[in-house]
Amino acid sequence: MREKSLFNMDIYIFLSALALMVIGILFIYSSGVSSEGVVFSNEYIKQIIWAVTGLALLIGFSYIDYNRLRDYSVYIYGGCILLLLITLLFGQRVNGAKAWLGIGQLGIQPSEFTKLATILFTAAFVDKNKGEITGVKIILQSLIIILIPVGLILLQPDMGTALAYIPVYFFILFAGGAKVRYLSFFLVSGLLMILLGVLPEIEKEIFLENPPLLLLLTEKTFFSWLLGALVIISALAVAGYMVFKKGYFYWLSWAALAGCLGLLGSRVFRHVLKSYQIKRFIVFLDPGIDPKGAGWNVIQSVTAVGSGGLTGKGFLQGTQSHYRFLPQQSTDFIFSILAEEWGFLGGLVVFTLFLIILIRSMSIVYQAKDNYAYLVGAGITGMIFFHTLVNIGMAMGIMPITGIPLFFLSYGGSSLWMVAVSLGILQNIYARRFSY
Amino acid sequence: MEDKGFSAKSSADRRKRFIALIVLIAASFSVYAVYLFSLQIVNGLEYQSRATQVARRVVSIPAARGEIYDRNYDVPLVLNIPSFAVDVIPAEVPRTELPILFTRLAEILEISEESIHDKIRPEHYHLYQPMEVLSGVSFGTITRIAERIEEFPGVTWRDKPIRSYLETGSLSHVLGYVGNITSEDLQVLYNQGYERNALLGRMGIEKQYDQVLRGKDGVSFKTVDVKGRSVSQESAEDIPPETGKNLVLTIDRHIQTLCEKALGERIGSVVVLKPSTGEVLALVSYPYYDPNIFNTRGEYETYKELSLDSRFPFLNRAIQASYPPASSFKLIMTTAVLEDEVFNPEKKINCEGQIRYGDRTFSCHVKHGHGPLNLGEALAQSCNVFFYTMGTEYLGVERIVDFSRRFGLGQITGLDLPGEKKGLVPSPQWKEEVYNTHWLGGDTVNISIGQGYLSVTPLQMANAVAMIVNEGVNYRPFLVKEVRDPVTGEVLKETEPTVLHTSSIRESTFQKVKEYMRGVITEGTARYVILTDAVEVAGKTGTGEAGFEESWNSWFVAYAPYDSNDPDEQIVVVVQVEPVNQWEWWAPKAADMIFHGIFTGQTYEEVTEELKNVWYLRELRERE
Repeated sequence: MREKSLFNMDIYIFLSALALMVIGILFIYSSGVSSEGVVFSNEYIKQIIWAVTGLALLIGFSYIDYNRLRDYSVYIYGGCILLLLITLLFGQRVNGAKAWLGIGQLGIQPSEFTKLATILFTAAFVDKNKGEITGVKIILQSLIIILIPVGLILLQPDMGTALAYIPVYFFILFAGGAKVRYLSFFLVSGLLMILLGVLPEIEKEIFLENPPLLLLLTEKTFFSWLLGALVIISALAVAGYMVFKKGYFYWLSWAALAGCLGLLGSRVFRHVLKSYQIKRFIVFLDPGIDPKGAGWNVIQSVTAVGSGGLTGKGFLQGTQSHYRFLPQQSTDFIFSILAEEWGFLGGLVVFTLFLIILIRSMSIVYQAKDNYAYLVGAGITGMIFFHTLVNIGMAMGIMPITGIPLFFLSYGGSSLWMVAVSLGILQNIYARRFSY
Repeated sequence: MEDKGFSAKSSADRRKRFIALIVLIAASFSVYAVYLFSLQIVNGLEYQSRATQVARRVVSIPAARGEIYDRNYDVPLVLNIPSFAVDVIPAEVPRTELPILFTRLAEILEISEESIHDKIRPEHYHLYQPMEVLSGVSFGTITRIAERIEEFPGVTWRDKPIRSYLETGSLSHVLGYVGNITSEDLQVLYNQGYERNALLGRMGIEKQYDQVLRGKDGVSFKTVDVKGRSVSQESAEDIPPETGKNLVLTIDRHIQTLCEKALGERIGSVVVLKPSTGEVLALVSYPYYDPNIFNTRGEYETYKELSLDSRFPFLNRAIQASYPPASSFKLIMTTAVLEDEVFNPEKKINCEGQIRYGDRTFSCHVKHGHGPLNLGEALAQSCNVFFYTMGTEYLGVERIVDFSRRFGLGQITGLDLPGEKKGLVPSPQWKEEVYNTHWLGGDTVNISIGQGYLSVTPLQMANAVAMIVNEGVNYRPFLVKEVRDPVTGEVLKETEPTVLHTSSIRESTFQKVKEYMRGVITEGTARYVILTDAVEVAGKTGTGEAGFEESWNSWFVAYAPYDSNDPDEQIVVVVQVEPVNQWEWWAPKAADMIFHGIFTGQTYEEVTEELKNVWYLRELRERE
């Protein structure tokens, strides 16, 4: 029951990725054409080079035994962490973040490759401890593996890229069989942390008022009282569970502890992130609060997408893009120029291609020969899924502006190579599904 | 499945988790597809119009201002010559670079840096609107900026024709000038369609008829890119500008020039009026200013400098200054005496050179007295004693005030120029209110010879004479004769004469006054001055004390021809020379030349040549 295959590959993923890369190159070209029809950017040529080398990497990695990668994953991970440290010390600042390492024109973004390295290492770690997967310890330990690169990337500071690591963690542990109650505890705490972290900013910027309830979050004394109250509730609930072993005490402590963690986390969140970063993060909720600044990108992108209509304005005919109202067209907002010029149908084509890649990936994951392959595949799928969701959501104005690329389409060598290598690994998993 | 190394339980659990992830992925994409559908299909039209709007700029195309002609309608007095205005869009320039930009601009435009800082202040730095730095910039300067445009970020330019005044002499008081609209003006005028960077008439006809002259600005819709650069040609929705209407004045520029030169460099004014319609043929006020200097130099600096001139060149003395009418007021006194028959005009009064009234002595200008005079002789000789007696003993102040009002004194004439003064006709009630003292007999003595509190503008005196000429009616003086279409020249509106004052005074009274006025020229005070043989002049001199030695207000109010049945031929001339000038009794002399020039159709130069042997011109030459 072998699938149709070329070089023993999943041909659907390969062709979809190829199609997306071609579309990407087309719209990178489009973004480099001025309203007078003059080509002013050679980004598309660079992207062709990266796409061709990327395809070579994809094919190359499809022949590398993933078990070899597992053996080296700790070194790959360590090497990437080292690169991140070097980047922090000697990196180049691009768009406000010290995320680039390189000489002159040639440069890489170590934070991109670290994503894959982190997947490989976390999967290896979880696989090694698969007997204890249902416990809390393994969840916390692998969280530390994730949080090391996240912390280093936050220091650059590049919040978007840092956030992209979180879903990888949940996908791997969820697929690995970790208990949902533990995972959801961290998920809820994390969401609470972000929510409570941005809430004061939302009130201040969007509702233009400071309701007294929010003083609980911003005023130190109130905050301490609130935290204290939650800690006492938690302690009582835990004690209650110890004594009575009743289910509702368990969930009460679960909720109270998640509240404590979220509250504390929000304090850290607000401490680490600058006010303008938080503002950038929430501006998609109401771009009107800063129409010439952070909101500009959202307004122009949504206008570009919305004005595309069913079939779009035609290739190279977009107005928002070619009059250059749309910023960062070749990278962050590549989907916007596509949706403007190819319309809803073009958008659906991109959705379908991504969906094919993701569903086929999940199918490969499900058929994987061993637990490690299974975990790596889940991590890679989670990574691609999250990037697609956040980037396209950002272009449509329903996700925060985080600056993470749309794989295969966005201009940039590092992310393209990284995702090509990831697909190569998936292909290897696919190829080895029957080998024992 | 067993052989994959998973237990049966974990395999089932794994399946569930696998399905959960598939569902998550599929559901997310479905939601996104639906949202994309709602964005692009459901609300697509709204975003399409938003996309068009964001790239659309509405640019106002300034309308050309109408031209102004004199009554001959041959060559314009004012026209627009092509020129440019340089603008800066402050928000397009980084704040730190603005001072450098201003320095460069100041250098290339040859203006001071401060003047740029004055126009673009820090509170404007965030504006995306173009702010004008200088207008009246030549094409050459624009070329030099365009060649180095990368050094001038945010700098743009546009057509802004300069208002060019071809006749720069005394017409400035009639025409006025234009200036840039200020923020304060704009607050008031915004609802009338004025916009930033618009021109606004500041004085004269330019101000009075601004709405007619300015036309209507057009609108151009442009598609621009994010930097505001235009990326499309003109669209079908563009509304072309409407050129302002042309004005044809009642002024005859030949008469205007004649009057201007006849007055010469003497502070004063000349009014020439057509009594049968109210058309103003000449309106001269000295000193005047050159309206073109507002173009070549900053409006503000020029205005400041001219306003500090002690001779007040902005003052249009023909309508904005009022003086005691002096002996020219005796025309009104004479009319009153004749009309109300308070004194037999043939009965004589003996002038002994002075008269005592109360505890004061009022003297006549002939110290030893005129001897016995009847009314006609008294007007001709301008005998003060005779009119003191008329005023105090026969007319009384109430009647004098009443007749002054009937002639239109103390009220504006309604000339179509801004800022006309109404002068003052004093009355006992007025003095009571203003000075809180009683009207004294001495006040009546003073008003009887046109002195004291009484004050009139030269235009009012001209219109009072018009009342006499027309024998009981005068018209609102006006300056704009026609409004014409700027392209076809078709007359769109013609000003019809409108009656200003109608008087119940008998025609026979006016005829008698006219006769006496002729006597002033033939036998009276003006006998040696009004020497023209071109026309029979009738008039009245006026020489008023100005309170200091050897300085008099000099008036001459007259009309010609003396006895004509053709109303079209008649003109009224009023010359007023202020006492600050060296005393040379210039008013009747200027009037003499003016009448001669008008009725022979000669220029000032031709007149002075023809009359060169006349004593007053010889004297003038000798002095020079």
